[in-house]
Amino acid sequence: MTDEVKTQKPLIQYLSKNQVEMIHEGSLDLLEKTGIEVDHEAGLKVLAEAGAKVDFQEKRVRIPPGLVVRCLETVPDRFTLAARNPERDCPLVPGGTPFSRNGGGADFTIDLHTGKFRPMLYADVSSYFKLMDALDGISFIAPVFGHDMPVVGRDILMLREAFANTDKPIHLRAFSGETLKYMFEMAVIVAGSKEALKERPIVSLLEAPISPLKFLDVTVDALWLCGEYGIPLDVCVMPIAGGTGPMTMAGNVQLLNTEFLAGVVISQLAHPGAPLQYAPRPMAMDMRTGFSLAGSVELGMMAAAGAQMAHFYNVPVSLHGPWTDSMTHDGQSTFERMYMTIMAALAGANVLVGAGMMQQSLVISYEQLIIDDEINRTAFRAVQGFEIDEERLGANVISKVGPGGNFVAEEHTLKYLRGERYVPSLLYRDSREAWEASGSKTFVARAKDRALSILEEHQPNPLPEDISKELDKHVAKVLQLLEK
Amino acid sequence: MSEIITNLKEDLYNGKVDEVAAATQKALDEGISAGEILNQGLIAGMDVVGRDFKSGELFIPEVILCARAMHAGLEVLRPLLIETGNDSPGKVVIGTVAGDMHDIGKNLVSMMLEGAGFEIIDLGTDVQPEQFVEIVRAEGADLVGMSALLTTTMQSMKRTIDALSEAGLRDRVRVLVGGAPVTANFAEQIGADAYAADAAAAVDTARSLIEAQQT
Repeated sequence: MTDEVKTQKPLIQYLSKNQVEMIHEGSLDLLEKTGIEVDHEAGLKVLAEAGAKVDFQEKRVRIPPGLVVRCLETVPDRFTLAARNPERDCPLVPGGTPFSRNGGGADFTIDLHTGKFRPMLYADVSSYFKLMDALDGISFIAPVFGHDMPVVGRDILMLREAFANTDKPIHLRAFSGETLKYMFEMAVIVAGSKEALKERPIVSLLEAPISPLKFLDVTVDALWLCGEYGIPLDVCVMPIAGGTGPMTMAGNVQLLNTEFLAGVVISQLAHPGAPLQYAPRPMAMDMRTGFSLAGSVELGMMAAAGAQMAHFYNVPVSLHGPWTDSMTHDGQSTFERMYMTIMAALAGANVLVGAGMMQQSLVISYEQLIIDDEINRTAFRAVQGFEIDEERLGANVISKVGPGGNFVAEEHTLKYLRGERYVPSLLYRDSREAWEASGSKTFVARAKDRALSILEEHQPNPLPEDISKELDKHVAKVLQLLEK
Repeated sequence: MSEIITNLKEDLYNGKVDEVAAATQKALDEGISAGEILNQGLIAGMDVVGRDFKSGELFIPEVILCARAMHAGLEVLRPLLIETGNDSPGKVVIGTVAGDMHDIGKNLVSMMLEGAGFEIIDLGTDVQPEQFVEIVRAEGADLVGMSALLTTTMQSMKRTIDALSEAGLRDRVRVLVGGAPVTANFAEQIGADAYAADAAAAVDTARSLIEAQQT
């Protein structure tokens, strides 16, 4: 009998080892011969100095394979998304325990009380953060905005609300290089110092080149600013198959991998050792409507292949979990997000992204967050595997119970009674009579009840008074600067 | 209807760019009028494409190919149409609004509108309100089409409409808006004339807007 107690971590693998290498070589080739566009003067210089072939007029950069390989070597193989409350830290390690976050940026919501589709408002923002703070199935928080928030400074205000309503790690969205810097300064205030923030980054960011192969100036600025502050960055590569990427799944993966490597080079040349996460978000253009699909099964397949590439480079990987094209939290939504999430989890994602999100990235709802909390935790459970040792294999108890007996009150059963099985918060498992007696509530209705009750009862861990005051001062100052 | 026109329509449906250009020239050589070739051949051909696109039989890449074929035929006819002053249903100034780089949808709408005979001035992406105003004034447009894919850039649509009002041009044009986050509600709020959910709808809507304007 061996020492291993846990079963293997299940892993979906579409690509063979050779195919992984083929895609890697293909990316090196594309970067060398086709190159990328970098709309950033200093960025072009840095790349030229490092040995890339740069056409300053065309802003075109051709990167030699040696440079890519060198930069890959300095990317850390793991990092931790720190939380204001260290118990809620999210260590991201390739092959390690998965975490999750909500989908960020939705501008519309389904009103929790009336069920009406309406714009997100400032008042919703703190409620959403509060709800997510309470849910174990949502590990860290991404921004949501209100339509009635001022356009200038909305990201600053969002972050202020987030710090007040959750002590989980916070994932940012910046609308400009200037506001990004201000948000990092806010994080410095909460962390205590710039060094403290670098040591324990309580915020993280996501940036994406424009597929195909185009890096805007704001993207390069963000890559560098994150490097400077030590803020973990998701290099999000999201070609839309048939639209901004090749129609074929293989081609889309080839392209996103190429764009990821380009992001690595730009980042590591300026800040070797800057923490990066590979965030493949392959999408597909619906050829009937031109819409970018959120729920097609091919997305899960391409993302799983992307995860294999991330494992090849030995970096953490963030994939879309719950996602749907549906307008509401209905059967289609649950169906689509279930297979997306399970595929992503079984492909070895470190982060499952998208809780709460519907109609691609346009709508967020409270009920959906509750449902996705359940879906995420189920996926976490599936990835865990189970323990397998001599006692658990149960030869003794099987022998004792013998043919035709039962295990219900056995010592073995009592010993393993709690802990073997995931306890759902939303699934109904009782009788029809009990169900009718309690109001014949559907899955979504139960989700609504749970959301209402959490919002009523949950108290997030507030910021210390002095930090709160300092933050407010900083926010007021910054908003004034931005007004000009 | 002449066989040449029938074959031209079929080649157009199959996206055969060179064949349509050649057939257009052949039709002219046979004495068929540019107007007839345009209306009975090219536009009628694109109407069938539009119909099958709407019903889901034809996909976007195929529609684009058909539009290219149509365009090839149009180029052959263009000098003659200018001469004879053939009336296109209208002149459209179209672009993706300020701050927004997304253009696939906008390009598709442009192609479909051209396929329906509209004259298209495509301003590209990241188009400032002033640019729209400038071109509308200079070209005497009938329709302004605006596209946005980001909720943050949607607001540029309102700014553009306001700019058109300030320039005293708002009454001269019909404003049509679209894009993933845009809704009919939003269109109404910002004072646009109409919203279209996709390229096929855009053509129908553009046609009705022009008709309404004329009556």
